[in-house]
Amino acid sequence: MKILIIEDEKALSESIVDYLSAQEYTCETAADYRNALEKIEYNTYDCILLDITLPGGDGLKILEQIKEDNKTDGVLIISAKNSLDDKITGLNLGADDYLSKPFHLSELNARIAAIIRRKNFDGNSIIKFGNLCVDTQRKSVTVENNTVELTKKEYELLLYFVSNKKRLISKDAIAEHLWGNEMGGNFDFIYTHIKNLRKKLIDAGDADYIKSVYGMGYKFTDQ
Amino acid sequence: MKLIAKYNRVTIPIIIAILLISSIGYYFILHRILIYQLDKDLRVEQNEIFQHLKETGQLPETSDYKDQQISFHPTNLVEFKDRYSTQDVYNKREHEGESFRRIDFLVIQGDKHFIATVKKSQQETEDIVRLILMITFFIIAILLLILFISNRFLLSNLWKPFRNTLEQLNQFNFFSKNKIALQKTDIDEFKELNDTVLFMTQKVTRDYQTLKGFTENASHEIQTPLAIIKNKVELLSQSENLTETQINVLQSLNEAASRLSRLNQSLLLLAKIENLQFAHIDTIDFSSMLQRYIDNFDELAQAKGLRILKNIEDKVIMQMNESLAEILISNVISNAIKHNIDNGNITVELNKTYFRVSNTGPELRTNAAELIGRFKKESSSGDSLGLGLSIVKTITDIYGFSISYDYKKEQHIVEIIFNDLAIE
Repeated sequence: MKILIIEDEKALSESIVDYLSAQEYTCETAADYRNALEKIEYNTYDCILLDITLPGGDGLKILEQIKEDNKTDGVLIISAKNSLDDKITGLNLGADDYLSKPFHLSELNARIAAIIRRKNFDGNSIIKFGNLCVDTQRKSVTVENNTVELTKKEYELLLYFVSNKKRLISKDAIAEHLWGNEMGGNFDFIYTHIKNLRKKLIDAGDADYIKSVYGMGYKFTDQ
Repeated sequence: MKLIAKYNRVTIPIIIAILLISSIGYYFILHRILIYQLDKDLRVEQNEIFQHLKETGQLPETSDYKDQQISFHPTNLVEFKDRYSTQDVYNKREHEGESFRRIDFLVIQGDKHFIATVKKSQQETEDIVRLILMITFFIIAILLLILFISNRFLLSNLWKPFRNTLEQLNQFNFFSKNKIALQKTDIDEFKELNDTVLFMTQKVTRDYQTLKGFTENASHEIQTPLAIIKNKVELLSQSENLTETQINVLQSLNEAASRLSRLNQSLLLLAKIENLQFAHIDTIDFSSMLQRYIDNFDELAQAKGLRILKNIEDKVIMQMNESLAEILISNVISNAIKHNIDNGNITVELNKTYFRVSNTGPELRTNAAELIGRFKKESSSGDSLGLGLSIVKTITDIYGFSISYDYKKEQHIVEIIFNDLAIE
């Protein structure tokens, strides 16, 4: 899977490359407008991360170019502006998703995974991990062919874990992913959700993959 | 005290005093002039008596008319200076005092000496003076009445531009798009006032815009470095074999960065709302939007064992920006969940008049009304920024809704009363 990261802030693009590379993505970076246009012209990517405030030009122009060239690359806009107008314009121009800075790398990763799943959905809508199987199209979960009945939020939580498998996910990132900003910083609720999800997975067939990491958060791993 | 009352309190006594003093002076001067006139008449009479004596050698007949009496009394005096005087006589016929002006003088007929006395009634003179005084008082009364009426109507009319300006200032609001519109006036003082008011409001608005713009720009600029901090911490957390001390440090870093980023986002949101970046008005179904948010938070509420009681009227349609409505609802509902106790309850009420959310929660130690203010919060815990309610307040301000927050009977109650204009 090839990802292009168009971001002028070096420290930020390094972190993203670092995190995504560990998820078996091949990452390329472009730090300015012209460089980005060149890379887009000669390559095809599964997903393009696009910072719309770029030196040398408007990031939204790059998006227009991609669409003009009839490219099928998925586009995820990342912006410091968090402005509704940008979001609407971006999505209208054909971007697949919008994420405002600052974001959790685990959140970014989950969004990228979702975009790629949607792009290739005819081929592969089933994610497997150990004896666990998540069908993202039908939104169903099975463990060794036993269907696991999950609530909406439990399903979202599981998908988030599966997208960020073997990585540490902070409680904060989970809270924000599930409930948005209003509930950020409030961790009481997560314990209950994780406890319930974990119990259901274990009951269905010993799929005990959610590990609590002392003081930090959780990890979805079979080790 | 009203300006006009204060003005009247000073001017009216002065006017009355001046009029009284001048009418007293008037009375005396007039009196003196008329007496002088009478004396002249008496002198004419005296000359006639002398003339008569000279021509006939006889004294004229004494007479006793009502308005003129002449009498002679023999005297031994050889010399007598003419004497004018005023005499009050009680008139038995009419039972009232009557004033006479009299002249006494010496008349010599052959070797007989007489004191002649000519008296003229002063009645007419006094009548005239009295009449003039009455007219004067009548004029004073009319003058005061006119002054009172003119103050009442003319002045209140004159002050109209002032009151208009005051009203405009009262309604002045940073969010309102309509500029302050002052009534045109040709009174210099009010023109000056209006110019100053216009200048000040424009300056205040400009300063406010600058400040808001600064807040927004600053918040934007902070986002990227914050993103770097957050992501680097996240990456570092992925390392294997961290010691417990390192984990604690990373966790503190992560919490601080998350808190800072939430704070920044809330401030940015406030700045945007205040900058009217959500000016677009949509027709929204507030009822179903509220229902959707409650459903969305349902699992969250269940996790805490909360019971949600709903009394939501159908089809409360409103003219409001959709994003702002969502922010408003989600802030109020999430507050009610966050600041609740285990197995507590939440009551959500909505109708065309108000939107009210009451919930159980820890007892309030600070004044409920203060918590609407910015950065006012009950607990010092990190999950509360103290901005949630002030964001809601800002939104309600824009639409002219009124919001109140109260703690009564162990219930926290947030009540938003809608503005008729927003309801369909």
